[in-house]
Amino acid sequence: MLRASAVAEQIGVPTVSIIGSAFMKQAALVSRGLGVPLAIAEYPGAPMVDSDEELRAKVERNLLPAIIKGLTSVERPEPDKAPVEPEPGAVVFKGTLDEVEEYFHQQLWSDGLPVIPPTRERVDAFLNFTDRDPHEVIGTLPQEGREADILSIAVNGVMAGCRPEYMPLLVAIVEAISDPNFRIETAGSTPAWEALVIVSGPVIKDLDLNYGQGVMKVGRQANSSIGRFVRLFFRNLCGYRIPPGTGDKGSIGYTFNVALAEDEEWTRKIGWPTFAMDVGFKAGENVVTVQSVTTISPPTYSAGDTAVAHVQQFADVFGRVFSYLAHSGVKRGYWYPLIVIGPAIATVIAQQWSKDEVRRFLWEKMTMPASLMRHFCAQTAGQELDFSKLVKEGTLPDYYAASSDPDRPIPIIVKPEHIGLVVAGDPGRNQSRGYMSNNVQGTRTSRHVELPRDWERLLERERQKQSAPRAPI
Amino acid sequence: MTLKNLENQFEVLWPLGRKAVRARTAAARLPDLAGKTVGELWDYIFRGEIVYPMIREHLRARFPGIKFVDYSVFGNFHGAKSKEISSGLADQIRSHGCDAIISGIGA
Repeated sequence: MLRASAVAEQIGVPTVSIIGSAFMKQAALVSRGLGVPLAIAEYPGAPMVDSDEELRAKVERNLLPAIIKGLTSVERPEPDKAPVEPEPGAVVFKGTLDEVEEYFHQQLWSDGLPVIPPTRERVDAFLNFTDRDPHEVIGTLPQEGREADILSIAVNGVMAGCRPEYMPLLVAIVEAISDPNFRIETAGSTPAWEALVIVSGPVIKDLDLNYGQGVMKVGRQANSSIGRFVRLFFRNLCGYRIPPGTGDKGSIGYTFNVALAEDEEWTRKIGWPTFAMDVGFKAGENVVTVQSVTTISPPTYSAGDTAVAHVQQFADVFGRVFSYLAHSGVKRGYWYPLIVIGPAIATVIAQQWSKDEVRRFLWEKMTMPASLMRHFCAQTAGQELDFSKLVKEGTLPDYYAASSDPDRPIPIIVKPEHIGLVVAGDPGRNQSRGYMSNNVQGTRTSRHVELPRDWERLLERERQKQSAPRAPI
Repeated sequence: MTLKNLENQFEVLWPLGRKAVRARTAAARLPDLAGKTVGELWDYIFRGEIVYPMIREHLRARFPGIKFVDYSVFGNFHGAKSKEISSGLADQIRSHGCDAIISGIGA
């Protein structure tokens, strides 16, 4: 919304933006990131819980005077004086480990956990694992308008506890989240989505990523630290910080996701294409995919020796879990469910069904009453969900308006091809899990992982360093 | 020598990136809204269907000749067509002759 105001200001049209009081600090941050000082009319409190009388009173008492002043004031809003900042690569502090930790906490540069001090030597070790120039800018990221360069990736990678050899993966992740299609400008929204990185290709084994039992638990260095890197990058390059920071308005939220690696060997063995192939890459190509996750299903057990027994269970459980927030994606025309299928279950399904058949079945079976989706939508932001209008404007396929029955079943997932299927987890247990994106925010985006020219040699040297004997005390 | 002096000292690098945004001054404000055209941009959430008509009513009563370009003309820049609408917004604002914009609602 503030971006729309900035567009108008840039063509010489004065604006005033209506903002709820709880969002004033974020508005100031976004305004600075856009480079345009914006006039604000503050709505006190939350409009969704005010009575009609309170709403009207606040419009008259608070909004109208601020709107008139914002558009007609003799003094136009002036830009804040930006503080002088260090140059990328500058040493900003010297101290003991404790002092460094304290300094980073004070500056809001950590995620609340201790960080590995990003010394020049450690950062250089990361830069050795890319052929790219440290000052190459991948993109300018909202909401602070900062340049995401190769150097900033290395610094935050060190801080997150990554190993230097993860650098090619980290670069690919930042390329993915910098793609306008990903919509990183939405990452501070109230549902509090977290990015999920899906890793495919030989690099999974090269970097010792867990794709088996406990795949989504904190505990394996590569999965955990790569997941943490993404969260730190969102904080430090984009400015998404919860209080005492200002940019992240996630209302409740949850912790960051560890990186998910797919069990490619198992997937090939059962005759299915890998997830990377599903999103358009060649077999054996190193790929990262990033998407938002706002909702995670319970661990879902399914039994039987037929495909339908398992996939029906997915539909029953994930359909219920996804039904609450589905309106948010449906009204925008798409969202991305991701199902992590336990290897043993995938084996049974693959004997009878292709991945496309699984997707088709889930899309057909995962439905909910149109009236309930409309209700959930109205509760969220007071928005009317008009299926006929969305079909007419081409946002939704015509089956959403095929009947005027308010309780008709409608698909929770807009199209079967939006469903992602990844085989991973414990091969010795019959468990799967569903993940839901936050509508089009954090849209599923993939990138090829570019390895340095002498990858094998660098990797071997790093492995030797890591396996050097350490004498116990 | 104190214990602190025996500990390792770390020189650490700045973890942020250079700000690439050039600060600009806002557009000149209007001396008066009388006779002006005000465009409404709405993200179709947070009860704007009540808020915007109220704003219209009060401003019409106070500023003679004020005109409004209704939010429905611009469409929902927070919805399915947000990218298309945002990319064409400057042209839309110009083509409707807007002198000022009221944008909402962030809450």
